[in-house]
Amino acid sequence: MKGAPKLRTAPRALAAVPDAGPRPTPSDADLLRMFHEMKLTRALEDRIERKLYRQGKITGGVYVGRGQEAISVGAAMHIRRTGEEDRDDIVSPSHRDMAVFLMQGIPMERILAQYMGRRTGLTRGRDGNMHMGDMRHRVVAFISHLGDSIPVAAGCALTFKMRGTDQVSFCFFGEGAASRGDWHEGVNFAAVQKLPVIFICNNNGYAYSTPAAQQMAVAHLSDRARGYGIAGSSHDGNDILEVYDAVGGAVARARAGGGPTLLEFVTFRMTGHSAHDDAGYVPKRLFEEWARKDPILRLGALLEERGLVDAAAVRELDERLESEVSQAVAWAERQPYPDPAECLEGVTKE
Amino acid sequence: MATEASRLRERPQLRGRKTRHGAASAADPIAGMMPGPLRPPVNPGLKRAELLAMHRHLLLNRLVEEKLSALYRQGQIVGGLYSSLGQEAISVGSAFALRPDDLLAPMIRNIGSLLVRGVSPRDLFLQFLARYDAPTHGKDGTLHFGNVEKKSLIGPISHLGTLIPVMTGAAMAARMRGEDRVALTYIGDGGTSTGYFHEGLNQAAVLKLPLILIVENNGYAYSTPTARQFAVESLAERGPAYGCAGESVDGTDILAVYAATLRAVERGRRGEGPTVLECRAMRMRGHAEHDDMRYVPKRLLEAWRGRDPIGRFEAFLIEEGHAVRAELRSAAAALAPELERAAAEALASPLPPPEEALKGVYWEPGYERPWWPSA
Repeated sequence: MKGAPKLRTAPRALAAVPDAGPRPTPSDADLLRMFHEMKLTRALEDRIERKLYRQGKITGGVYVGRGQEAISVGAAMHIRRTGEEDRDDIVSPSHRDMAVFLMQGIPMERILAQYMGRRTGLTRGRDGNMHMGDMRHRVVAFISHLGDSIPVAAGCALTFKMRGTDQVSFCFFGEGAASRGDWHEGVNFAAVQKLPVIFICNNNGYAYSTPAAQQMAVAHLSDRARGYGIAGSSHDGNDILEVYDAVGGAVARARAGGGPTLLEFVTFRMTGHSAHDDAGYVPKRLFEEWARKDPILRLGALLEERGLVDAAAVRELDERLESEVSQAVAWAERQPYPDPAECLEGVTKE
Repeated sequence: MATEASRLRERPQLRGRKTRHGAASAADPIAGMMPGPLRPPVNPGLKRAELLAMHRHLLLNRLVEEKLSALYRQGQIVGGLYSSLGQEAISVGSAFALRPDDLLAPMIRNIGSLLVRGVSPRDLFLQFLARYDAPTHGKDGTLHFGNVEKKSLIGPISHLGTLIPVMTGAAMAARMRGEDRVALTYIGDGGTSTGYFHEGLNQAAVLKLPLILIVENNGYAYSTPTARQFAVESLAERGPAYGCAGESVDGTDILAVYAATLRAVERGRRGEGPTVLECRAMRMRGHAEHDDMRYVPKRLLEAWRGRDPIGRFEAFLIEEGHAVRAELRSAAAALAPELERAAAEALASPLPPPEEALKGVYWEPGYERPWWPSA
């Protein structure tokens, strides 16, 4: 892990995010949990994209968040999970936020069954992709049409406001989705109504093959915040402590009735748009540059420095996660496909 | 980090020029809609003849709409009627800053822009009366018409906001052809909340297109007050949020509107990208003729009544010695019979034959008949 840029070890005060209220500092246990969740996400996605997909075992497309795990994990650490309906936060993940599904308690086995189009997948084999959610786990199903989840997330936050609870709606998307009209309508509505929603953008440099500079004429997506009259700031999305800190501040603001926050996390998509895309349009040096900023390497270096893990512990963790993933894959492969007779059931709510 | 900075485009240095307005508060939700400080109009270098032409178009705008309102009450108007009372300076002032070949797309409250571009009052009456000789041959009773080839005029689209991507496309076409034409269109405060606004403006900003987006902030989107429409003090803030210029002016001061539009036009021709120009005024009538706007507090209308764009401009003309009161009064008196005649002609002209109802709904070679200029 030598050569990985160091993480700041203390949260930084963000001038761009005023009145955020007290923000939490991650404990050692939190740091270890974040490391574990990032590792698990990477192991699961690597298995899906690099093995199962190539073996033809995945029915649909595969979109992974390799290199972006710090954003989903760092943000999801703040999602309140109590099991009580009027206390739990709600989350709308994007297609690169596998960690959010896992951290909300959706079993890895069922996610794999979903990708394999099995009857025990979250959509009972009706989709072989990320279009899955489970309201019991407070996960709003990802909507294929990018940008559409923003008004949905704002609507969830409106419910919280109308009920007078201090719940928060988390909304993930990429910089490409931010050019969509639905995005604008949702963010503006949330701003006007001062809703407890956190807009979390992973600016990973490319929307399929469109580079960010051709997506927007501002340097950072958070520059849009001023146009809506909401708080906004941009951060290093590969520094999980910075993610943790920024989202923590935004959550404090939202719970206190301070309205929405637009957070941009600058990162890089270390893969094609999807498993079928070789990303030939991305200059090779960008991959090399960003590989050095890998969020898992960077947190690992910090944990070693603090004496929380050593090389042997990391190796042991990797092996354990590999075997967990293997067991889940084995379970998923044993699951039946859906019965053709029931293919029209549950397409709409019944 | 340097890598991000190089990957993402550098931050543009355009700063919004802002007019301060009272901010809305829970105690007084309409505080943000009250008129800003009154500043005397400043002549940006227009000659007397140009000033008087502006005055004449302001008057025309108002008188045409007054006549249309009378016809509406007589049951003669087929469609809806949307007044620009109190906002005339925005249409006329902005259209005056354009070259005749600049692409212009008026909205429903921009009769003034059409008049400046040369649409005759008679054509407007024919259109609202849905007559056969009207630009749409009686197929529409409002302003849904244009003439791109001869007048660089693009008709409004009913669905608010959708004209913005259209004008972004028009600006892009002009640039691809190597022309230095700019594209100007209007949107209300309500239309800024539509997704089309976002998609069209963002694309224009990314491509640095010469788009001039005039945001007519007239306090209400139908019955929705601006405090429920956006959470910023001024919609000029939206400019820098997209990486383009943003400016806010008093929309009841025609010279301020003209000068600000001209700055935006020049920026566009220099290749510096779009401008969001907020013009603040008050919609002094209902959303349309059928709306009694009982939801608008009386004191808001009272506060704006002293800001009549024509009254303000006339006071300026007299004070600066460009005209005396009697001249301005006789200009108005001269227009009235002209408009009565145009309206009478329109009323006397035939309605479209029913058998043509399905013709020309889509483009049909041979069906389109030249309507320009009619008089």
